[in-house]
Amino acid sequence: MSSSANTVAMGKKRPRIYSREAVLFGCIVFLVLFVLFTAAASRMYHKTIHVLADDWFDQGEVSFRAGDIKSALTDYRNALVYSPDNAKFQFHLAQALAAAGRGDEGRSYLLNLLSESPGSGEVNLALARIAAHKALTSDALRYYHGAIYGVWENNPIDMRWEVRRELAEYLLDHGLQQQAVPEIIALADSTPASDTEQLRIVGNLLLKAKLWTRALDVFRTLLAVNASDEAPLLGAATSAFNLGRYSAALDYFDRLPEKDRTAPGIAEMYKTTQQINEMNPFLPDLSREAKARKAATAVSLAATRLQQCATQVGQSLTATPSQTQLQKAFAESKEFTPDENWRNVAKHPEAVDEIMGHAFEMENAAAAACGEPEGADRALWLFGRSRGVSAQ
Amino acid sequence: MTEPTAVTSHGTIPPAADESVNSTSQSGIRAMWESWTNRVFTMREDRFFLFLAVLIGILSGLAVVCFRIAIEWTQIELLGSSISPTFPRVILAPTLAGFAVALLVIYAFPRARGSGVNQTKSAVYVSNGYIPFNTVVGKFITCALAIGSGQSLGPEDPSLQMGAGIASLIGRRLRLSQEKVRLIAPVGAAAGLAAAFNAPISAVLFVLEEVIGTWSAGVLGAIVLAAISSVVTMRAFLGAESMFRVPPFRVAKPADLLAYVALGVVGGLASLVFLKWLAYARPKMQSLPSWTQHFQPAAAGLLIGIIGIRLPQVMGAGYPIIDQAMHGQFTWKLLLILAALKILATGFSFLSGTPGGMFAPSLFIGAMLGGAVGAIEQHFFPALPGTVGTFALVGMGTFFAGFLRVPITSVFMVIEVSGNYTAILPVMISSLIAYGISRSYIKVPLFDLLARQDGLVLPSVEERREQLILTVEDAMRVDAALVLEPGDRVTEVTKRLEGKEDLLCFLRARPGEWNFIERSELQRLAADGSETHTAAELQFKGPLPFVFRDMSLEEALHWAGDWPALPVLSRADLSKLEGLVTLDDILKAFRKVPVR
Repeated sequence: MSSSANTVAMGKKRPRIYSREAVLFGCIVFLVLFVLFTAAASRMYHKTIHVLADDWFDQGEVSFRAGDIKSALTDYRNALVYSPDNAKFQFHLAQALAAAGRGDEGRSYLLNLLSESPGSGEVNLALARIAAHKALTSDALRYYHGAIYGVWENNPIDMRWEVRRELAEYLLDHGLQQQAVPEIIALADSTPASDTEQLRIVGNLLLKAKLWTRALDVFRTLLAVNASDEAPLLGAATSAFNLGRYSAALDYFDRLPEKDRTAPGIAEMYKTTQQINEMNPFLPDLSREAKARKAATAVSLAATRLQQCATQVGQSLTATPSQTQLQKAFAESKEFTPDENWRNVAKHPEAVDEIMGHAFEMENAAAAACGEPEGADRALWLFGRSRGVSAQ
Repeated sequence: MTEPTAVTSHGTIPPAADESVNSTSQSGIRAMWESWTNRVFTMREDRFFLFLAVLIGILSGLAVVCFRIAIEWTQIELLGSSISPTFPRVILAPTLAGFAVALLVIYAFPRARGSGVNQTKSAVYVSNGYIPFNTVVGKFITCALAIGSGQSLGPEDPSLQMGAGIASLIGRRLRLSQEKVRLIAPVGAAAGLAAAFNAPISAVLFVLEEVIGTWSAGVLGAIVLAAISSVVTMRAFLGAESMFRVPPFRVAKPADLLAYVALGVVGGLASLVFLKWLAYARPKMQSLPSWTQHFQPAAAGLLIGIIGIRLPQVMGAGYPIIDQAMHGQFTWKLLLILAALKILATGFSFLSGTPGGMFAPSLFIGAMLGGAVGAIEQHFFPALPGTVGTFALVGMGTFFAGFLRVPITSVFMVIEVSGNYTAILPVMISSLIAYGISRSYIKVPLFDLLARQDGLVLPSVEERREQLILTVEDAMRVDAALVLEPGDRVTEVTKRLEGKEDLLCFLRARPGEWNFIERSELQRLAADGSETHTAAELQFKGPLPFVFRDMSLEEALHWAGDWPALPVLSRADLSKLEGLVTLDDILKAFRKVPVR
């Protein structure tokens, strides 16, 4: 088989020449052995690398949880050296970067991850937060929606709910009321009636979005579970007040502890509610006299406000023919002098509506000419609006 | 080089089986083996070469996998597993490993020193494809130690040489023809580089561009097969992921591409600085007393370690750092500092003679420069599309093209290492600019420069590209021929020739069949005074081989000596004579071209 004649030439010792079959056989045997060796080495290598990557990642998690973001960044980067394609490591590094105020740096990792899994809820959320932090509203909206409709491995329903809540808060905080409303409504619709914590959050968002009816419904649901729960009581009172349901509002306010009723912002609302209830002649169980007296008081109050306003703007209320709203309202009010006739009114309770209507018109005309009233006038003005007297 | 190479004919490889073996006594396996080897060895050498290319690709892929694992393990053992090594390690590891590498290179593997590309190239053009296997072992050990200890060098060039060495050994042992043994080294080189870069197309292009220097159809198939086999093998063990993960981007408007022009200029200038420094400092280092070679790698390691105390990013090949730069992890100032320090560190390692490649460092420098340019541009033009990562990616290709002077490879390499096709236009623009700047100020490419400093005159790809290729058009004469038809009367033709001594006569028998008529033959037939003789009766030389005006003069030269003149025909109409060319015309044309 071998060509031994070729082994010696020109008197110099030359390497032994093997037959081609032997060389080929040797190559194949060597190839097999080399594959086995490489497989073993590669297996050991990958094992070592995985252990290192996991160790560094775990260390990063510990640092991150401890608030040591700088160390966490180094640890996550070390982990990525040994497992550069690990989406979890990249995601956590991006989060750590964002936490360190380096959202731009984290963003590139996240975009990478997003290109690989565009439907990832987690990645979309992280990108949305970075965009929101930089007030890039269109990007933030896009990524928040990506997160809401994206894939979540754990607790998808809860996560989507949380993301939508975050989006709604972001929109409200940035004065984007119109865009916030559909998100909050969707959030309310997806909130189970049994989850009081979520209902509480939704109720507050509805309040912020001035969706009073829905807010009141939510707070009522909560109060059905616990009638003395302060936060829902306050929410319900605020909602009812803004809906013009002053009797209900007063009921909720009254059920609140004293400290809540006197809190800034609440105290004035409470006082106004009380005033409205005091001047409300339409309450059930009122005597004819009481109704008449309340109506007379309201007219008197409105007339005074009308005259003060006319003086303020320099108008004569007695001018004929009446041209301004103030003059028209004054002319109509002259037809009735409640101070002298309240007893007649008591005899004709059907006139209370008409009298109160005049009072509301006067307050409205004054508000239109001189701005929103204060104190009892404000209560009467609000009361009128709740009765359907539109602002001029 | 001293090993005998049994040169066979260009036909089939003769079977070398021992015929004396009694087939009846063979076992079934042996019979199968012999039948298979018989089939293998009796196949045409071209086909056998392709078979070997696959084998070489797999072996090179395995070698590269082991090499990369060795580098990683060395790094973990010497520098620790963190990307920021602790103080004593950062100084001691590169210094002590540098000393060990120097001893290994001087006493055990002297051929491990130097550029793998040039050694492979010299194997092709100088030593008939011979690369000692000792070099493969030497490269493996010394480079793993050097790169793993933090020397600023890369694993690609050694991988290329390991592949070439493996191929050379197989070619010699299998006693291929001398031509194939010479060509097998680049096949292995492509396999090694492809596995190291996880980029088969770039490896094939680089070997064709830089090692062989020409598009040789004879070896292209084998190179492609070897590259694919090695990449598949490497991916089987180390995974198929791209080397870098670049955030997605898009070029919105054509005007956005202008942003990359600045990158091309910066990359070109930086490559120029680096090349000038290496070209100046290498001969100086080589002229130092030989005993200093024992300490040069250690000194380089010490300097790199000192840099690494503050900026460990410059140590080693630096691929994780490139990845970080692509994700915008560094400020533009830090990116610029890293680029500058990497140039220094790589220069130290390379000039000290530490074995290792320049590919990875050039990618690192390019990525840092690109990232810096991108960050600065985005600071002034926030609406600019693309991220810092995009610029870092494009910067890699830009510096690569300017420094190594392989513009085509650089474009494909960027696409392959990132898996991102969007970058192709920016890379093409900036690479060409960088390449142009580099070429304008340094005429000789890096590898040719190194070869010349080592006393080798290897063929330069760039010079070949610039060589003027003469065509028939450069030598042909028009209006110098008289075309005869078979029916033409000889007396009329003789009259037409009167006073036109330079005219040569061709007889057009039919389209594509042209013959030459001597004037003496015309005169002979015209001498008898008969008016009836036609051209068809003339004795002619032919049919003549014909040429076209776009054919190279070398091709025309094959026939020009055998015939008085060659007709230059139209490719659209073989009956149309466009001119003629003679041997004298061809030689005159060659003499006009200035000698290099």
